[in-house]
Amino acid sequence: MSSGESCVAAPEEGSRPWRYAVAPRSDGYDELFDGDGHPRPHWERVVDLLQKLGRDEIGHRWEQAKRLLREHGVSYDAYGDPTGVARPWNLSPIPMVVDAATWAAIAEGLAQRARLLDLIAADVYGAQRLVARGELPAELVFAHPGFLRPCSGIVPPAGRYLPLYASDLVRSRDGHFQVLADRTQAPSGVGYALENRIVLSRSLPEVFRDCSVMRLATFFRTLRRTLREMAPHNRDNPRIVLLTPGPYNGTYFEQAFLAQYLDLTLARSDDLVVRNHRVCLKTLSGLRPVDVILRRVNDDFCDPLELRPDSSLGVPGLVEAVRSGNVAVANPLGTGVLQTSALMAFLPGLCRRLLGEELKLPSVPTHWCGDPSSLAYVESHLGELVVKPAFPAGPTAPVFGAELTRAELDELRARIRARPRDYVAQERMVLSMVPTLSQNELTPGHLWMRAYLVASDDGYEVMPGALSRVGRPGESLALSLRPGGESKDTWILAGGPVSTFSLLPSPSAPVELSRGGGDLPSRVADNLFWLGRYAERTEATARLARALAVRLTDQSTQSGVDPPADVDALLFALEGHARVGLPGVPPVAGSSPPRAKLLSLATAERSLFGAVFGDQAGTLATTAAETQRVARGIRDWISADTWRAVAELDEELNRPRLVSGRGTLGAMVTLLDRSVLVLAALNSLSSDSMMRGHAWRFLDMGRRLERAVQLVGLLRAVVDASPDPAFLEALLQIADSSMTYRRRYLATLQLAPVVDLMLTDETNPRSVVFQVATLDAHIAALPRDTGRPRATEQTLALSALAELRLADIPQLCTRGDRDAPPPGLLQLLDRVGALLPGLSNALSGAYFNHAAVARQMNADGPRLAPRDAKEPPVVAAMARKGASG
Amino acid sequence: MRLHILHRTTYEYDDPVTTSHHEVHLTPRDLPSQTCFVHSVTVAPEPEAIRERVDYFDNRVRYFGIHESHRLLEIVAESEVHVEERPASLILDRTAWEDVRDVVALHRNPESLEAYSFVFDSPYVRPQPELRAFAAPSFAPGRPLVDAAMDLTRRIFSSFIYEKGATGVSTPLSEVLRDRRGVCQDFAHVAIGCLRAMGLPARYVSGYLLTAPPPGRPRLAGCDASHAWVSTYSPNVGWIDLDPSNGMMADERHVVVAHGRDFGDVTPVRGVILGGGHHALRVAVDVVPVEYDA
Repeated sequence: MSSGESCVAAPEEGSRPWRYAVAPRSDGYDELFDGDGHPRPHWERVVDLLQKLGRDEIGHRWEQAKRLLREHGVSYDAYGDPTGVARPWNLSPIPMVVDAATWAAIAEGLAQRARLLDLIAADVYGAQRLVARGELPAELVFAHPGFLRPCSGIVPPAGRYLPLYASDLVRSRDGHFQVLADRTQAPSGVGYALENRIVLSRSLPEVFRDCSVMRLATFFRTLRRTLREMAPHNRDNPRIVLLTPGPYNGTYFEQAFLAQYLDLTLARSDDLVVRNHRVCLKTLSGLRPVDVILRRVNDDFCDPLELRPDSSLGVPGLVEAVRSGNVAVANPLGTGVLQTSALMAFLPGLCRRLLGEELKLPSVPTHWCGDPSSLAYVESHLGELVVKPAFPAGPTAPVFGAELTRAELDELRARIRARPRDYVAQERMVLSMVPTLSQNELTPGHLWMRAYLVASDDGYEVMPGALSRVGRPGESLALSLRPGGESKDTWILAGGPVSTFSLLPSPSAPVELSRGGGDLPSRVADNLFWLGRYAERTEATARLARALAVRLTDQSTQSGVDPPADVDALLFALEGHARVGLPGVPPVAGSSPPRAKLLSLATAERSLFGAVFGDQAGTLATTAAETQRVARGIRDWISADTWRAVAELDEELNRPRLVSGRGTLGAMVTLLDRSVLVLAALNSLSSDSMMRGHAWRFLDMGRRLERAVQLVGLLRAVVDASPDPAFLEALLQIADSSMTYRRRYLATLQLAPVVDLMLTDETNPRSVVFQVATLDAHIAALPRDTGRPRATEQTLALSALAELRLADIPQLCTRGDRDAPPPGLLQLLDRVGALLPGLSNALSGAYFNHAAVARQMNADGPRLAPRDAKEPPVVAAMARKGASG
Repeated sequence: MRLHILHRTTYEYDDPVTTSHHEVHLTPRDLPSQTCFVHSVTVAPEPEAIRERVDYFDNRVRYFGIHESHRLLEIVAESEVHVEERPASLILDRTAWEDVRDVVALHRNPESLEAYSFVFDSPYVRPQPELRAFAAPSFAPGRPLVDAAMDLTRRIFSSFIYEKGATGVSTPLSEVLRDRRGVCQDFAHVAIGCLRAMGLPARYVSGYLLTAPPPGRPRLAGCDASHAWVSTYSPNVGWIDLDPSNGMMADERHVVVAHGRDFGDVTPVRGVILGGGHHALRVAVDVVPVEYDA
């Protein structure tokens, strides 16, 4: 971060001791300070270095770090917000620090626990001896909705049921770490841990460097190797995909980030198809076999054929493909059965039985009410315990006995007694405290950590780091246990020298599209195409709005006067623009009714603000939001800079709602200026820095097609509406061709030269014919079945091109009877205007494969399982539901 | 009794289906009370991938995928099965229902453990107070399980109306309970829910029923497609099949195809398709006696 500005460090900082601003009310273990208020030994160096830096400097750097996080798009949909608004990721500038010895003990305990859980899963999906011998209650298997009977008997590669494992840890009052929950199916958060490390180490490089912190990269190298080794048939270069529930999932950012970091293809269910017991990725050049799936979809959602029939997040036939041994899934389907707090009550015994060892890392004391003696204990101690559902059944929050009234306790007791096996009670933990900076003051917060493990040749490798979460001070325990809140990078201090191995490309290296075009998933091509269309449309709208805003600023001193013709024309164009709804239908069919004269400049201003900020489709704000939505779906295919441009634009227009235009015209001009700049940057980023592969081609086709559709539509509307030269001027403005026209013709505006410049001049990169010619070239370069005669999209592009190239513009511009708009020109525009949407559809049909909807059939008939590119709300809800890991 | 069964399922789609995946439970089981002699399943168009296996419940299940465009899918299952009379000893079992409940929860021998796995909720049979309320009158304290379950079966038969089309696969059990109408599958689910509400094992049985009456026997109500009933368990005599659609114990006219926790585990024909548009479904089942025991 800009070291040139670090001169703000307060001189008195060195003498200002590190203390909590307000003494903590909790009597939990203090991570930082010992009983005398001195930093514990392993914190000394960190505190010392941070103190030298000074709080002001930290605060200052933190502002920059936050912007970096926001612009990277790091977000977490913390509370399953139904509006789908992703919250910005909140990272604390002070890391959580763990000393080498403590961590070694944790790591050993976690590795043992992973081995134990792996063996339990193997038994549950195999011989079920543990249940038969009464060592594992039958209910924990048979009553568990996560026990997936279709997966019984399927042995995963190398007999490994738990390639990945994560564990939620808390530190008890006596300073010992305990396991609060096991994450065994699709653990989330490891990508956030990595992003935290990247941002913190870049923000506090001197502190990070001098504290000998263990690096994370070797863990990810092992993760990659473990995934590769899972590939069946010993393929040398296995294709590995990360199966995501999609952009509406709360941790989608992390999934995209991880896919990029590990060099996996991010795939949604509709990117995959099962053919002949094999899972294949649908790419532009056909179906490509997939060997390994790293899933972030809950296992019961993974196959609508054999598992949950109502899932649209899965791949039909996946279980059968797994059963055939043609694809490996991490974690294997069915491992969700281990995710019950009830199991924790039996781990000590199972550990002795299966490993012949004592359980090294204890769980938070847990009582499963299905056991009669535990039930008795729970009933008599309910006021001190935390009650949870034994089996995952929706987002049921833990209930804290201490927070209930007597009547509520009785009611809870009755509920437990009615179905005891459904409940688990845990001892209430007083969480440890960690410092965090709030308003530049040190404040304590509650800590829990999620640690990550991956199977390796000799057991398990533990990531030397963790995702630490901090509950805000004063928050009730229940709240601080919820996901969200603030997060911390977790520094494990090395006992010895630190390996500096890194998987990250150096910051200057281009991250853009390292993959060849052959593996471009059809859905990504689809989204790139629409990103092109939306971005182009946003830019055109912004340009037009800016032109109008500037003209209105000039006029505003003479209020009361009739608005001049060019204001009227620009407004007409802007409104027409907003009416040209995507997907591109020309705005007006046939002759439009005569346009009413503008009443006043005030009306014009109101209309301008409406066209920029309005909620309806077609305004600048909604188009920008759409652009971001489409971009989010292909987050892993666009560069960080491109994403930043998209995010910034959306933030400009949609965040600080100056809304319904109570801002001034001046502010509006500034805003539009910035928007046009950002959009220009966005468009040049993609044209300059994207590999000329199919990804770029689809993005550019989207842009070209949109530009052509817009121009044809507007040209037609303007020609039809008024012969006033002011309208032609407006048209030139939109097309950014004003300057060219002036240079070429110097003189007044006339229809024929304007039309020629905008429609048929192949040297003008903004003309319609230029767009169509480019489209034609792109289409010729797309992969296609060579056996077929000319494809529909080729024919359509060629027809449009021929229409434009053969057009005799001066003759077409002759006005009709009684000075009617030139009929020949209108007909030409109609013909071309009709070809373009057809072209868009033909491309969709040939390459995007989205028309089909997967449906559930059984003897009772089909039920619709919606699966659509435009993500109806039900899918969004499911995306959140289907992956809670 | 030897029965010949022809089960034909036809889907006719308005639009072409480009890809489809199916899982079918159409093969009658071999059981002490029945033997399947001849069995075949033919699919048109011919699937690209087909595979048969034994599922978690020991049913024979087929998976197949079709990846050529089609507007018509036809699945024909043909079987010949010999079905025995069920042993009369079933109804002589006097074990009280509470004892069954407790023994099944405690014993860990394979058979008892298997029975216990059918005590718990399943996707189509969620617990609800109405189930227990409906079941309670049949389960007087100390009543033998067989009597209680049979009484429950008759009560479902007499208080629910069999009505084709009144419900679909996705009709929730609560609606069936409220409206008191449905088809065999719904009644099986109601019976399962009631038995489980009392802590007793209950499994779903998918199969066929000889509806054309043999000489001298009354015609039975059954589904045009496949039939469904319920099975509960007593440690002394094993599984006892009860048919709430006809208020009777299953007999030699009931052909067992598959066991499961509920309909979802043993759906006769299920699939996920891409494309298709509107479709027409036709299911035709013919059960014909081949010969009669003298």
